[in-house]
This record gives sequence, C-alpha cells and structure tokens, in this order.
Amino acid sequence: MIRKTINKELKELFRDGRVRTSLLIVLLLLGIAVWISSQQYQKTNADYAAAKVSEREVWDNQGEKNPHSAAHYGTYAFKPKYPLSLVDQGVDKYVGTSIFLEAHKRNEAQFSAATDQTGLARFGDLTPDFILLFIIPLLIVLLGYNAFTKERELGTHALIKSSGAKGWKIVLGKWTALFLPVLTITVVLLLLAGLVLSNLQDYGVFQWNSLLVLGLVYLLYYAVFTNLVLWVSQWTKRSGISLVISLSLWIIACLAAPKAASNIAEARHPYPTRQEFAANVLKDKDAGIDGHNPWSKEAKLLEEQVLAEYEVDSLQQLPFNFSAYLAQKGEEHEAEVYFKHYNYLKEQYENQSGTYRSLALLSPFLPARFLSMAIAQTDYATHWDFSDAAENYRIATQEFLNNNTAQNTRYGEIGYKATAAFWQELPPFDYNPPELGQILKNNRSNFGILGLWAVFSFGLLFFTTKKNNDVTI
Amino acid sequence: MLRYNFKYESILLFRSKWIQVLIGILIMLFGFATYNGQQKTQKRKADIEKVTAEIRTSDQNMLKLLDSVEHGLTVTARPWTIPNTPMAVGNYHPRVASKPPSELSFLATGQSDMFTHFVKPTVRGDDLALNFSEMTSPVQLLFGSFDLAFVIIFLLPLLIIAFSYDVLSSERESGSLRLLAAQPILLYKWLMQKLALRFFWLAAITTATVLLVFLANQVPVSNNFSAILSFLGISLTYVLFWFALAFAVNLWAESSAKNAVALLGLWVVFVLLIPSILNQLGSTLYPIPSRALMVNEMRTIKAEATERQDVILDNYLRNHPEYAVNDTTQERSFWHSYMASQNLIKKELEPVLSKYENQLQKQQQLLDHFTWLSPAILVQRSMNQLADNGSESYEGYRNRVIVFAGEWRDHFLPMLYNNQAFSSEDYGQLPEFTYTPINNQSQSSVLVILLCSGLVVLGVGALRFYVSSDEKHSII
Repeated sequence: MIRKTINKELKELFRDGRVRTSLLIVLLLLGIAVWISSQQYQKTNADYAAAKVSEREVWDNQGEKNPHSAAHYGTYAFKPKYPLSLVDQGVDKYVGTSIFLEAHKRNEAQFSAATDQTGLARFGDLTPDFILLFIIPLLIVLLGYNAFTKERELGTHALIKSSGAKGWKIVLGKWTALFLPVLTITVVLLLLAGLVLSNLQDYGVFQWNSLLVLGLVYLLYYAVFTNLVLWVSQWTKRSGISLVISLSLWIIACLAAPKAASNIAEARHPYPTRQEFAANVLKDKDAGIDGHNPWSKEAKLLEEQVLAEYEVDSLQQLPFNFSAYLAQKGEEHEAEVYFKHYNYLKEQYENQSGTYRSLALLSPFLPARFLSMAIAQTDYATHWDFSDAAENYRIATQEFLNNNTAQNTRYGEIGYKATAAFWQELPPFDYNPPELGQILKNNRSNFGILGLWAVFSFGLLFFTTKKNNDVTI
Repeated sequence: MLRYNFKYESILLFRSKWIQVLIGILIMLFGFATYNGQQKTQKRKADIEKVTAEIRTSDQNMLKLLDSVEHGLTVTARPWTIPNTPMAVGNYHPRVASKPPSELSFLATGQSDMFTHFVKPTVRGDDLALNFSEMTSPVQLLFGSFDLAFVIIFLLPLLIIAFSYDVLSSERESGSLRLLAAQPILLYKWLMQKLALRFFWLAAITTATVLLVFLANQVPVSNNFSAILSFLGISLTYVLFWFALAFAVNLWAESSAKNAVALLGLWVVFVLLIPSILNQLGSTLYPIPSRALMVNEMRTIKAEATERQDVILDNYLRNHPEYAVNDTTQERSFWHSYMASQNLIKKELEPVLSKYENQLQKQQQLLDHFTWLSPAILVQRSMNQLADNGSESYEGYRNRVIVFAGEWRDHFLPMLYNNQAFSSEDYGQLPEFTYTPINNQSQSSVLVILLCSGLVVLGVGALRFYVSSDEKHSII
C-alpha cells in the first residue's frame, strides 16, 4: 500500500504542470547560484593568495629597522574562504576579511563585503543557501499542501478508507512521495557542489564528510517541513485553508522568527558601540603599564621588582635592555585588556545565541541556519576563531620583536636597528579552521533542537493519524 | 449592483472574521515593528548624547589644564597630552561628528545597523583610519531587522495573496459563478468590485492601525505629517499593486490552487529574486576590487612616504612659504614631518580609494535603471529615504565627515608649522560638525511608477476578458 501510494502521488505530481515548472525553476536557480558562487569563490581565493604573498614580501623587505618601528608598521592577517562557502555563504559577507596586526592594539577585521555594496545587498543574494533554506521549504509547501485535502475535495478519501488501508501507511506513502523530489534536488545540488570543489585545485581542504553532514542537516530540516505541511493538510478541510496555514508556518519560521530573534537578542544583550568599546579599552589600558611611558607609577613598580629580582642597583646592570622588557610587559598588559573586552563581546554573543536557541522552538529554520553555516565554516564562531588566532599571532610577533631588542641592546641605547635579514625569521601566520568533529561538538544544542523538531513533527504527523481518520468526510 | 456587492461582501467579510483577523494581525505586526524601531532609535540617540556629554566634560578638563599651564603652574598630565600644543588638542580632544536619527528613523532600519552613528576624527591617521562600520554581531546583519519596511514589503503582499487568491475561483469551484453569470454585470467588473472592496478595507485598516501604533509609540506625527503621508501613500500604492496582480491572476488562472502557486511565484520573483539578481548583476558587471590587494597598495604608498619624510617636509615648506615667514623658532618635531607626509599620502591614496567609490556608484546607477522591475525595491528605497537610513544617506554622512576631518586637520596645521601654542582663546574657534540630512528625493515619482505598474497589471488582467470571448477559453 505504501508503494502504491508513493507511485500514485508521484505520478500525480509530475502530471501537474505547476509542479514540473516549479521544480525546473528551482533546479535552474540552483545551477545559476552554484555557478556564480564558484566564480566568486575562485576569485576571492586568488586575491587572498596574492595579498598574502605580497604582504609577506612587504614585511620581509623592510630593510634595517628598529624592531619596535616594525611592530608599529605591522602586518596583515587575511582570512581565506573555505570550500563549503560555495554552498553556504553564512555571515561571510558581513565580517571583515583582513586584520591589521600592530603593536599595542588588537584591531578588528576590516572591509566586509556588505559595506562595499548597495543597499540592495540586504535583500539577500542568489546563493545556494538562499535556495536551500528559503525556496525549497516553500516548494514543499506548494507541493504538499493539498496532499490530503484533495482526497477529501475529490471524494476519494472515502474510497481509500474503504480499501482497508492503514492510516499510517497512506501517510507514509504520501510523505515519501513528497520527500523524494526534495531529496533528489538536495542530493543533486550537493553532488554538484562536491564535484566542483574536488576539481578546484590548491584551495582549502575539501572534505566529503562535511558535505555529507551538511546534506543530512538539510534533509532533517526538509523532513520537519514535510511533516508539518502534511499534518496541516490532514487536519484542514479545504486546500485553500491548508495552503494559508502552511504558508503562515513558512513565513513565521523562515522570515519573521529570524528577524524578530535578531531584534530581541540585540535589545536584551546589546554590543557596545565601536566608540564605547574603544573608550573602555583605553581606560583599562591606562590603568596598567604603557610601554612608551617609563615614568608612570606602574612602570616604576616594575622597575623596582626587576631590580630586586636580579639583585642589582641600576637598570644598566641588567643582562637585557629594560626598555624593551618594559615594552614587552606593556604589550602583555594591553593584550590582557583586549582579551577581557573581546571576551565580553563573546559573552554577549553567547547570550544572544541563547535567545536564538530559545526562539528556535518557534522556527526550525534557526537551528538549520546555524548548523549549515557552522559546517560550511562561514559562521560567526569560525570568524571568532580566526580573529583569536590572528591575535595570538600578533602577541607572539610582539614578543619576537621585543626580545630581539632586549637581547641586542643595552639600557639607554637608542637608534638600534635589526638587520635586513632578521624579518624573515618571523614564522608566517598559518591558520587552520576548526575540524568537523569540533564544529559538531560546539553545535550540539542546535542539533538537539533540530532533532527535537524532527521527533516532534514526526510524532504529530503519525500519532494524530488515527483520530483524523475518524473525522467524517 | 455596486451597492449590493459592497454591502453584502462587507457583511460576508465581517462574518467570515476576515476583517477581525486582519485587524489583529496588523496591530501585532505594526506594533512589534514600530516598537523595535523606536527602541533602536532611542538607543542611538542615547549613545550620541552620552558621547557628546563626555566630550563636554573632557573639554572642561582641557580648559582647566590650559588655564593652569597659562598661569605657569605645573600639571600632572602625560607630557604629550597637555593641550597647549595644537597636535595634543587635535588628537586628544576631537569633536563628535554624529548622525542623529531622524524622527522617522524607525520606519526602516536600512543600513543603520551596519554603520556607526558617530566618529571622532583626529589629526593623526588618514581617512581610511575612520572606521564607519558599527560593532554588530554579523548574525544580526544577516537576519536583518523586523521593521515596518519589512512588514510592508514582505508580509503585506502575502496577506493580500492569502485573502484574495481564490476570490473568483472559489465561486467557480462552489458552483455559484454560474448563478452570478445570470446577473447583469460584467464578470471582470464584478471581480474588480470585490477586490476593490478588499483593498478598501485593507487600506482603511492599515491606515488606522499605523496611526494608532504611531501614537502608542510616541511618534511625533504632527511634526512629520507630510512624511507620514508619503509613507502611507507609498504603502497603499504598493498594496494596490498586489491587488492588481491578484485581479489579473484571478482572471487568467483557473483553479484556486493554480492562482495560489502563481501569486506566490510572483511574490518570490518580485520580493526575493529580482533584488538578489540585480544585486548579483551589479557586483558581476562592476566588481569591487579586492580590499586585500588595496591593503598592499596602501602599505607601499605609506612605506615610501615614511622613507622620504624629510624630503617631503622640505618640499611641503617650500610650497607653503607663509609658515617659514611667520615662525621664528624654526623648530621641527615628529609632527611636522608626519603631517606633511600625511598630506602626500592622502593625495596618493585618492586614486586607490576612488576606484571603490566609482565601482559602487556604477552599481548604484545600474540599479537606478532597473528599480522599476520590482516594486519591492522601489518601496524599500523610499522607506529608507524617509527614515534617512539608506545607502545614499550614509554615503552623504561619510563624505561630510571626511570633509570635516580635513577641516579639523587644516585648522591645526598653521598653528603647528608656525610653532604656535594652543591657548584657551583658540578654544572657541574649533570647527564643529553639523549633520544635515541629504535632500530626500521626491517620493511622487515612486508613487507614479507604482501606480503605472499597477495599471499595466490591471490591463493585462482585463485583456483576459476579451480573449475569453470564445467558448473554449471561457472564464466561467
């Protein structure tokens, strides 16, 4: 009976002109989206590679220079694009791509793509994730809203009942028939993306198992929608009403809830403004050692400590240059201040995530959205990871430079210059994004919520079947 | 017939709870959106007030310090921050260049969540050092804001579709259309009356709830009467456009199901696809050059300038003989060479930066040519303009700030090169920044385009009536 139902439903679907057209349009859009994204992906990565090489050349060829001048001159860390951004661009457009690494200051990533676009960019882009997250659920609504109501409207419901078929078997048949086209589209898209990615050379490490997990997330998300749409169709008397209700569910889940969530999250756990943040950092910085100010109270205190520790009377007798040592201590204090303030931002974001998670109970879109970005390494967490790695590299670079001065000069000596070859000794910035296992571990709660949605909606669909069959036609 | 149609349709709409549901939904949507928008606006205002107050206190401290210095007292501040040198004032006592929210800022978030609303330009650093992007979680930017513009552009059409997709087809499906055919009224006139009635109710409810919600949220309605009128006018014409579409689809398609699919498809096309395709087209035809590569270019220019700092300073002074004449001390500090090379860097960076602006402008021009393709884009831009939160508005603010940063720098340059001290008398002469919103383009053109597209759609619908005269394509 299940197979017969599937056959009948699929036949009906493909006879219907609107279904054929919508499927064709969705496939066409997907093709265009994948093509555009792969072009952009290749261009961005070529630019990234060029910028990285050129920046290193600038650093290596500074010539003879004081190490601290070099520290102020600074260097840049560029953020690469990861292979699966081809499928989901996530927040990539809204975060900066390059971080300036200099002495005394932790800078934020600059130059996000969105600030370089017209206001239209805020409508969204024609990317695979837009189709996967918005359009396919809408397709499910359009294909499935009359799955049960049409039987009732055409009077075939009574015939099916009289055939003695079990209710759940018919539901399962209809479910499979609705899910199959969606499954096909998803598999085709992901295979396409996988093939494109494994044929691109040099860029990033593409892993098929990430793609597989991504596919599973989407299928779970579609299963939830399929369940809900069929459940609504089962419980309404007319196709029109069923459509309106399913559509409302789609609007709430995909359009309204994310925006409302973002507003609520911001109102409850606001970020400081950029200027406020800078002022707070400055205040804390001033309270500690400033590498450029040997007359401050904190610097004098450090002086006394160091003299006591080495059991000497004057700074000249120290085996290293105290000025450079002071600079390094100042650097460490500043790094701590930044650590504290950026941690506050992270905490605020963690709190915001809590708001998103609690609203995810209203919208299966939210956990799917977050999981998809996370697996594609285009989410906010990956950006934080990159920015933390860049900060660690910055701190290490400052230490490397200050140590050079401390070891090669004496206290009071000015005008020291490191040799031209020295700069090449600095190890390059090498960033590896978190592995799939780590990502999945960090996103357990989102998996949990999506799983909960799946269990809940399956339960709704299959365990309310019997009652429904008792309803008179 | 018109009178009967109106009267009985209204009763039907009321009995089927259509009107009550609509009032409920709209109050909720408009209420939540306005509340959100007002909250954002309040926070923005408070942020600006706070920073202005901070500057005021810091100015008073500065004047006290100056007073002490001028009276020959020793002060405890760090030497390079003592405000008797022009560079100390220029760096440590900047002015606030703020973009306060307009009174209707809550209408549309626009770009206001992405860009900052105040900066404090100093004499140090170049224009690139002015960071105009705001510290926001990118997830928020990705999801966007639940503002009035969103409710009107995205959700209202869906409400219209949900309530009008089966006006004609349901009569056909329930068999009552044949009865209607016996009445002395043309079918399309009858349909138009039915939809016009729905439009009338939706327009009335929208206007009433919008005004109610505005009053509840303490929006200064009377001060912004004409702007609010524009807002309502644009919203209602947009609604009219969707009713026109519903009319055409009702006449052209056959079953309720097909109507629904067609209307939803059109919604996806107008609201989601055309904007994203146009955006994609803009960035494909006029791609923004890589910012990473710009960083490289900028570094090279700066490195060269730093190497030649002494030569640059000499050249600079040669070009500005007035400084050499007035200054008797001829003292040269770090700042003298720094500011001179900064000037040169600014000049050399200009072509690098203008590449970005040019490409963005070309993208914008392309958009201007094609906005009529989607009423959603038109309405979005108008609302952003009314709220003074659109791209143009932020671009205007940025340009204005960059000019002000130049004024600020130039104000201190003569003092620096003449080796003049900054005194408390100079305080009153400091340049101030004032923000004036760029002139809003007239909204009437938007109204006209929207109305025209509505009429075209109506025409296409009415065409069906003439096509259907032969038996095979009969609407009934």
